[in-house]
Amino acid sequence: MSNNTMIHIENLKKSFGDLTVLNGVDLDINKGEVVVILGPSGCGKSTLLRCLNLLEVPTDGKIFLDDTEITSPKTDLNKQRQKMMMVFQHFNLFPHLSILENLTIGPMKLKKVNKAEAEEKAMKLLKRVGLESKAKDYPNQLSGGQKQRVAICRALAMEPEVILFDEPTSALDPEMVGEVLDVMKNLAETGITMICVTHEIGFAREVASRVIFLDQGKVAEDASPKEVFQSPKHPRLKEFLSKVM
Amino acid sequence: MKLSKKIGSLFLIFTIAAAALCGCGNEIGESKVKTIDDLPGAIIGTQLGTTGDIYASDYEEEGSVIKQFNKGSDAIMALKQGKVDCVIIDNEPAKKYVSMNQNLSILDEEFVVEDYAICIAKENTELKDKINLALADLKEKGTLNEIILNYIGDESGNHPYVSPEGVNHSNGKLVMATNAQFEPYEYRENGEIVGIDVDMATALCDYLGMELEIQDIEFDSIITAVQSGKADIGVAGMTITEDRLKNVNFSDPYTTATQVIIVRNGGDSGNLLQLKEKFENNFIKDNRWKFITDGLLHTIQISFFAVLIGIVLGFLLAIIRFTCDTTRKFRILNWICKMYITVIRGTPAMIQLLIIYYVIFASVNINPVFVATVAFGLNSSAYMAEIVRSGISSIDIGQFEAGRSMGFNYVQTMWNFILPQAIRNILPALGNEFIVLLKETSISGYIGIIDLTRGGDLIRSRTYDAFMPLIGIALIYLAMVMFLSMLVGKLERRLKNDVK
Repeated sequence: MSNNTMIHIENLKKSFGDLTVLNGVDLDINKGEVVVILGPSGCGKSTLLRCLNLLEVPTDGKIFLDDTEITSPKTDLNKQRQKMMMVFQHFNLFPHLSILENLTIGPMKLKKVNKAEAEEKAMKLLKRVGLESKAKDYPNQLSGGQKQRVAICRALAMEPEVILFDEPTSALDPEMVGEVLDVMKNLAETGITMICVTHEIGFAREVASRVIFLDQGKVAEDASPKEVFQSPKHPRLKEFLSKVM
Repeated sequence: MKLSKKIGSLFLIFTIAAAALCGCGNEIGESKVKTIDDLPGAIIGTQLGTTGDIYASDYEEEGSVIKQFNKGSDAIMALKQGKVDCVIIDNEPAKKYVSMNQNLSILDEEFVVEDYAICIAKENTELKDKINLALADLKEKGTLNEIILNYIGDESGNHPYVSPEGVNHSNGKLVMATNAQFEPYEYRENGEIVGIDVDMATALCDYLGMELEIQDIEFDSIITAVQSGKADIGVAGMTITEDRLKNVNFSDPYTTATQVIIVRNGGDSGNLLQLKEKFENNFIKDNRWKFITDGLLHTIQISFFAVLIGIVLGFLLAIIRFTCDTTRKFRILNWICKMYITVIRGTPAMIQLLIIYYVIFASVNINPVFVATVAFGLNSSAYMAEIVRSGISSIDIGQFEAGRSMGFNYVQTMWNFILPQAIRNILPALGNEFIVLLKETSISGYIGIIDLTRGGDLIRSRTYDAFMPLIGIALIYLAMVMFLSMLVGKLERRLKNDVK
C-alpha cells in the first residue's frame, strides 16, 4: 500500500443468503482519483459502494480507509464515515429540514461547528451549485436535479476525503441529468477522491481517471477510460459496451 | 368550515339533551309488587353485595330477575323509570329515598332484619378484641344510641357526636373503608363524609386513641380492601354473612337494621322540577359544584401525567421493538416488550387498575391518584408503542442510510431524522390515543378517587336526578376532548407547514 492510497480493498465478499454478490474484490484507489464503476445490472456495483462505508456489512474481506481498517470491530465507524460521504440515487434529503438545515446539521452536530460558521459554509456551497436562493425552502419544493445538487452540497459540507456516488442521475428526468453531471465535473477538478457508480458513459469517458468493470462479483477490467472504451479486453466488457454505446 | 363545525357540535349537544329530556319525562304506573308474596317472578333491584342482594337471590329460583346496581340510588332511579318492579334495600336509606320521591313507598312487611357489624382482617384478632371492648363501652355509656338518634328519627341533628376533651390520637392511624353513598350510615355532605358509621368510627378511635382515616371506595371492594390491608376496618352498614365470614372477621354488632322493599305507589312523582331548579339542586345547593370541580382537577391531573408516562414508555417500547425487528438482535428484550404489549392491550383497563391497586400495591398505603396515573400511563404506553412503531416503520429506509452514512450513530439518527418525521405522520393517531386515555380515566372511581365521573355519581346519589349530573359531566368531557383535538390540530398544521 503506497502513501498515496486512499482506499484499499482486500478479498471483499458479500452474500445475501445464498446469493453471492461480491466474490473477492481486490482494489486500491489513490487519493484524487475519479473512479467510475461500470457493469451490467446485478453485478454488485452498488453493493460494492455500499460496503465501502459499511451500509452493507461485508461477509468477508477487509477495507482500509487511509490506513485504518474500517471493517475491524474496534474502529469507530461513525468517525470513519465522516471522511467518506455518500450521494444516493434517491437523494435522501431530510424532508423535515430546510435546505440550509440539511447542509448544516452534519457539521453542527458531528463536528461541533458553530451555527454561523456552518451556515456561511453552506451558503457558499449552495452558491457554487446555483441554489443559494433555495436555502430557506424544503426538499419537497425542489426538482429532482436541484435535490441531487443539494445532496452533493450536503456531502461536501462535511468536508470528506472521499465521496461515493450511487447512481446519482438514475432517478432524474433526462433534462436534469446535465446539471448534476456538471456539478460532478467541477467537483472532479478540485482533486477530491470520487467513486461513482453510473450508467453515464459520457461522464466516465470525459471525467474519470480510471474505469472499473465488475462482472460476476469480481473486478474484470481495471484501466484508463481510453483503454476501456477503445480497446476493451474482457469479452463481457465488449458485450456490455456494445449494448450501452 | 369553522362555523359549520361549531353548528355541528351544538346540534349534537342539543340532540343528546333532548333525548335525555324525553327519557325522564315518562310517567310509569304502580309496581306489580304489592306484598312480599308478589316477589316471585318480579324484577328486583338491589345494591351489589348488600345483604338485600344476597337474600333476594333466593327468589331467582322462583323466576325473579335480580338486577344488581353499584349504588342504591341507581336502583331507585331504575325503579322510578320502571326498569325494576321493586328495590330491596336497607330501611334507613329507604326512608330517605321515599321522603324525596312522592311516588315511592316502603312496603309494611319487613324483608329481613339484620345486624350491622364492623369487618376486620382475619389475622387481626387483636384489633377485633379492642374494637369489641370499645363498642361495649360506647353501648354502655349510651354514646352509640345518641349517634344513631342524631341521624334517625324526629330528634335527628340534636345529638351531634363531639370528641371528648383532651383525647389524644397517639396510637397510630385506623384506616376505615366505606362507600359514602348509603345515607344515613355514610354519605357526603358539603364534601365531607358523614353518617352514623362515621361518627361511630370516630368515637371508636377516640376510645382507642387512634386517628381515623376514611377511604371512600365501591361497596363491593370494601372486603377486598380490608383483606389486602389497604384498610384496617370496613364500616358500611355491613351485615354478617357466611360468605363474608370466609374472608374477614366481624366485630360484635353495633346496630340492627331492616331490609325493606320499595315500590312505586302509582302516585305523581312530584319531581317535575323546572330545569333551572334542577340545575340549582344539582350544582348550586350545598356547594355540589365542588364535586365537579374537585373531580375535574383529578381527571386532568391523572390524564396529564398518564399521557407523559405513556409517551415516554411508548416511544421507548416502540424503538426497542423496531430496533430488534430490524437488526434481529436482543431477541429476549423484544419478546418481553411484545408480551407486555399483548398483556396490556389484552386486558381491560379497569381490571389493570384494580390489580395494580389491590394486588401489586396491596400491603402498601399508597395514594390512589398516583396508582391511577401509573395504571393509565402503563395502559396507554402499550397502545402508543404500536402507534409510534408504525410511524417509525413508515419512514423510508433511505433516511436511516442518509443519517448513518453521514456518521450519525443509531440514536442520533433516530432522534434527528426518524422520530421528527414519524411523529408528524402519527400525530392524528396519537391525538386519538390522548382522547381515549382522557375518557378512560372515568373508571378511577373504582379505587376511591373522586374524578369527574365519580363527582357526578356523588351528586346523583344525593339528588336522585340522572339528567343534570350525567349531561353536565358529558358536556365537560366533550369540551375537554374538543379542546384537546384543537391543540392536536394546531400542532399538526404547524408541522405540516414545514414541508408544504
